[in-house]
Amino acid sequence: MERKLRGRGVAASWYGIARTATIDRAGAWAELDDGGTAKIVTGVTEIGEGILTLLAQVAADALGIKPSDVTIGDNDTARSPEAAHAGATRQTYMIGNAVTLACREAKMALFEQIATHWSVDIDCLLAFDGELQARGHNLRMTMEEAVATCKAHGVVPVGSASFTAHGTGLDPVDGSGSPWQAYVFGAQVAEVEVDTYTGEVQVLGIWAVHDVGRAINPRGVEGQIEGGVVQGLGQALMEEYQTVDGHPVTPGFAKYILPTALDIPQINCTIIEDPDPLSPLGAKGIGEPALVPTAPAIMNAIYDAIGVRMTSLPATPEKILQALQDKTPGRGRDVRTARDEGAQSQELAQRRGAL
Amino acid sequence: MLTCDNYHLPITLQDALVLWAAAPEGSRLVAGATDLLPWAREGRAGEVHIPALVDLSRVAELHGYTTAKGRVRLGANTVWQAFLTDSALRRLLPCMPHCSSWFADDQIREQATLAGNLANASPVADGTPPVAALNGVLELAHLEGDTIVARTVAVSDFVLGPGRTVLEPGEIITAVTLDSASGYGGSFQKVGQRRSLVISVACCAALVKTDNTGCVFEDVRLSLGGVGPRPIRLNRLESALRGERISHGLIDRAAHMAAAEVASRSRQQYRRSVVVSFVGAAIRDALADQSDVVVNFQDTEETASV
Amino acid sequence: MSELWVELEINNRKIARKTQAHKRLLDFLRDDLHLTGSKEGCGAGECGTCSVFVDGRLVKSCLMPVAKASGCKVETIEGLAAPGQLTTIQQAFHKTGASQCGYCIPGMVMAATSALRQNPQAGIEEIKERLGGNICRCTGYTKIFEAVELARAVIAGDQSEDVLAEEPVGKSYIGHNQRRIDAPARLSGRLKYAADIRMTDMLQMQVLRSPHAHARIVSIDTSEAEAMAGVAGVITSEDVPGTDGFGVFVHDQPVMARGKVRHVGEAVAAVAAEDLITARQALAKINVVYEELPGVFDPEEAMQPGAVVLHDYAADNIVKHIPLRKGDVAAGFAEADIILEENFSTQQVEHAYLEPEAGIAYVDADDVVVVISPSQNITHHRQMLSRILDRPINKVRCIMSPVGGGFGGKEDMLYQGMLALAAMKTHRPVQLVFTREESIVASAKRHPSRVRYKMGLKRNGQILAIRFSMISDGGAYGMSSEGVMRKAAILSCGPYEVANLCVDTTAVYTNNTPSGAFRTFGGMQAQFATESMMDIAAEALEIDPFEIRRVNMMLPGSKTHTQQELNSASLDRVLEAAEAASRWETGAPHMRGATRSDLGGADTRAPCTLGARFAGGRPGADGKERVW
Repeated sequence: MERKLRGRGVAASWYGIARTATIDRAGAWAELDDGGTAKIVTGVTEIGEGILTLLAQVAADALGIKPSDVTIGDNDTARSPEAAHAGATRQTYMIGNAVTLACREAKMALFEQIATHWSVDIDCLLAFDGELQARGHNLRMTMEEAVATCKAHGVVPVGSASFTAHGTGLDPVDGSGSPWQAYVFGAQVAEVEVDTYTGEVQVLGIWAVHDVGRAINPRGVEGQIEGGVVQGLGQALMEEYQTVDGHPVTPGFAKYILPTALDIPQINCTIIEDPDPLSPLGAKGIGEPALVPTAPAIMNAIYDAIGVRMTSLPATPEKILQALQDKTPGRGRDVRTARDEGAQSQELAQRRGAL
Repeated sequence: MLTCDNYHLPITLQDALVLWAAAPEGSRLVAGATDLLPWAREGRAGEVHIPALVDLSRVAELHGYTTAKGRVRLGANTVWQAFLTDSALRRLLPCMPHCSSWFADDQIREQATLAGNLANASPVADGTPPVAALNGVLELAHLEGDTIVARTVAVSDFVLGPGRTVLEPGEIITAVTLDSASGYGGSFQKVGQRRSLVISVACCAALVKTDNTGCVFEDVRLSLGGVGPRPIRLNRLESALRGERISHGLIDRAAHMAAAEVASRSRQQYRRSVVVSFVGAAIRDALADQSDVVVNFQDTEETASV
Repeated sequence: MSELWVELEINNRKIARKTQAHKRLLDFLRDDLHLTGSKEGCGAGECGTCSVFVDGRLVKSCLMPVAKASGCKVETIEGLAAPGQLTTIQQAFHKTGASQCGYCIPGMVMAATSALRQNPQAGIEEIKERLGGNICRCTGYTKIFEAVELARAVIAGDQSEDVLAEEPVGKSYIGHNQRRIDAPARLSGRLKYAADIRMTDMLQMQVLRSPHAHARIVSIDTSEAEAMAGVAGVITSEDVPGTDGFGVFVHDQPVMARGKVRHVGEAVAAVAAEDLITARQALAKINVVYEELPGVFDPEEAMQPGAVVLHDYAADNIVKHIPLRKGDVAAGFAEADIILEENFSTQQVEHAYLEPEAGIAYVDADDVVVVISPSQNITHHRQMLSRILDRPINKVRCIMSPVGGGFGGKEDMLYQGMLALAAMKTHRPVQLVFTREESIVASAKRHPSRVRYKMGLKRNGQILAIRFSMISDGGAYGMSSEGVMRKAAILSCGPYEVANLCVDTTAVYTNNTPSGAFRTFGGMQAQFATESMMDIAAEALEIDPFEIRRVNMMLPGSKTHTQQELNSASLDRVLEAAEAASRWETGAPHMRGATRSDLGGADTRAPCTLGARFAGGRPGADGKERVW
């Protein structure tokens, strides 16, 4: 047998957006501020995913200013409206929509004053990137001037909003229910190289395709996918928190093995946009879903390469070499022959299950 | 967490030996110190109080290297990164760069010394196999009165078992001397759970020299790590290859002899099969690593590996 | 503790001062000089969050006793660029989105800087090797590689500096690759995480943790610790004024062990003292008498009658069981042309966010108990704290500090309660910073799972019935287990419309480290089994893996496993795109790796062989000499 064998595998996945099997909610406040800037206050939890930048983009787009002109208040239970937790792939969906709605309200407060000021129909007003114009009229001003004008009319342009996602609980007997109002789908292909001397697997390529509804910051989406893939790879091949009678034997990073820069594949992302029909922004989410298909895609690729089905994670070099040695020649073909012999399929299946 | 009463940074060997001889029980010698702080943590030694730490990294006599009479004498402060950055060392010690690139990471290699790696006497130390292959000898020094007294110990005799060496109280490793293997091809095989910062499950170092025509093994050095409490040099296997016509069949037959050397109690079956594969691969990689020689195998790989 | 005089140059500034002999360079930088850009991620040289230059060589400052740096020139993240400026490398990190939570980023920037200083022409494989000592848990490294290659090109003059600037916006900021507004503070090391914050008069807290997996606490004597000089207060569960108990779903975990300990590493008592060492020494003076109890460490054993019981409220040790029933499973299997069975298992996984847990609590001028911490859910923490501390909800305030990675692991209120109690007891600010080992032993993990799977299909690949049963070890406390089981059940059989299914997911109490919320919340474990089964079925039926998924995939109008009708579903487009992007060669999945033609394209990496800095893998080719 050659030392290094390659193979490919695919896995698909799905995921629900926002809190599971319950109603979810998030609140936000917005103010168009002096200088054509904006203050957004919401209980948002930036854990590294880039939600603050995303909200700045969302607010900028809704208000007609630049993201760099948006200030997002700190998350503080005594200072900001509830937007709940960073989890369940919910912040883009829940808080993104809450901020969108709050900003729309603040902008409408401003537009009402400007429409009066210019004596135009409010529907012809358009703000983008710090400029306000009345379409069909030769009227323009900066958002800085617009805010000053609005305030001169005695109005501070503020808005607030709450966004709700209508999940329902599950029936305690048959589990029926509508746990989420938005779902995303994904698929990943993995290409691996297995070292048959050592059982070591190197993942050389991942093609990750994920529906995110609407990519507000495509580079940020890629960052989430890449991070998810590498966590999935760690789970697939090396990470394992182990205890013996409850005592940890992997107490630090020397024993708890994480993927390094040398252990990761080239990751090729494709973003699919299938906008959510039930929310103003159309965006769904990507944080968690990105991780789901990685490990099974890698296991399917290992099977393609060396014909052993790894059913127990992580697929460490030792486990893989053991499985290779235990593999009876031609076992990879067993299943196929059985296909045409219906009676044998049950028995075969049970044999598989026992292995 | 580590605490200590005194931290000494002597700059002469004499001072270091005096400090070390006088250090209260429980004191420690350090060079790169890269193993000290990870050791003094929960899950390992936990809370550690050390009376005196004697840091050898500024002792002038332990710096640098010299070559003489077919041997390379590495001062004990020689760090792992040197095997990657110093072209003379790369040429003289052809298996060391391959080993070094598997050792920890660039940052730790800048601090960690080869001598310190040997002194820790870990069964999975990356340093012992290539040093054993290079017929490594450690120079040890201690004080008798004011006089520095030196002795030498072969690396194979230096390590007694996991964490245990022949170092006596008051004794310091001053140098590691190795065969100059210029003209050899070197290689290092290792497997762990990942590719960087990884402790090996098993490893194998090889040095190979052929005749000018690439047909005959003039010399072969093979050594294993991770498979037993002490470094293992594959003498029987080396003899079986030395002077023989190079062929894949011969390499495969020789590699199978290595399985018997695996004494490690844990993961023995895995280590056995890896070691057999590694020995074959190490020989082939080392053959390919020789500069200016094209190896002429007697057979093709397919016919050999049946 | 002996003192040590050190003189060195840090970021071109001469420093001469007294410190303590045992300190590491990292402690000296952070505690003595308040240069908190260098982070402590593991304290063992395994992660690189503390990387600094010493005499031009990159080292891990957590491995270096400060004495070693005396007389040396040290360069930290704070010294790379003038205040308010970013180096080319930092700008490239900003441009590509290479910084997410940012906790690894100062070290990663240092490693990238070292890589390009060592070899300004380094290729991508060499760059990877030179970054090999620095762990990032958020980004998957990909954008970091892109940043280093971009910086290399700009530094070499191959690309103009303009490539580092913000991209011009098109018609909308939605869909725009806005550079992260919060990245510069992370890239320059300026951002203060909870462990970086210093407050006047602040105490350091340390936690005494259980050495036993299951034991009754006979007594806790804190008197000797309390009497120690420098100790401001010791707290135990006796100090809880309100209703003790926290958890994401069930409030079964006391702030500190109450009556018994249920896992190794559970908090038992905590000390607030003038400094860290005093606090640690005081822990050793707390005398806890335990009576060890038999433990249960396997979830299936824990479900047996007569098994050791962890919590009085759950005599069967079941945290949560979620059933799904749809259609007629028996009828489905009866119609099947083929029935496949397999068992799957997944392991316990650590979140390994690079920022270990840390926080500060104090009581403010309005008598509000304030807790600052990198919590993923301050809303819920405030609700629970209000009850635990028996204070009106507006007299408890939670402030989120920058979160150095969470992934679900910072949802649990593991230490915020202890901090609040210590602040109330001492009326001084109290800070707690976990060690990496403490973080690993005390924090929740991804649920390990065992899945028994039975799938019946028709010859054309259509799934007729699935029986799916998953047992998960929830560990000693409920944490997020209920929600994880629910999500695992809902997502169990994957993105496929299955007419007949019977799904059960069950989380069980054991005396193992608790399992909790972790990115995918059960979805990964369940779908690993399903997606493996899909390929097993595809092989058995000789169908291409994409094709068998298409045969079964959910479409708009499909009924999910919980019988919800989908208003939209994009899997058809996702599969099509994946097949195209990967240049997938169609065929049934029976070990055809050796013959397929779609391998090894430009969109894959070269296998890692190490030694990339030597051209062709052979030493001696770089032609550069360095004095060492």
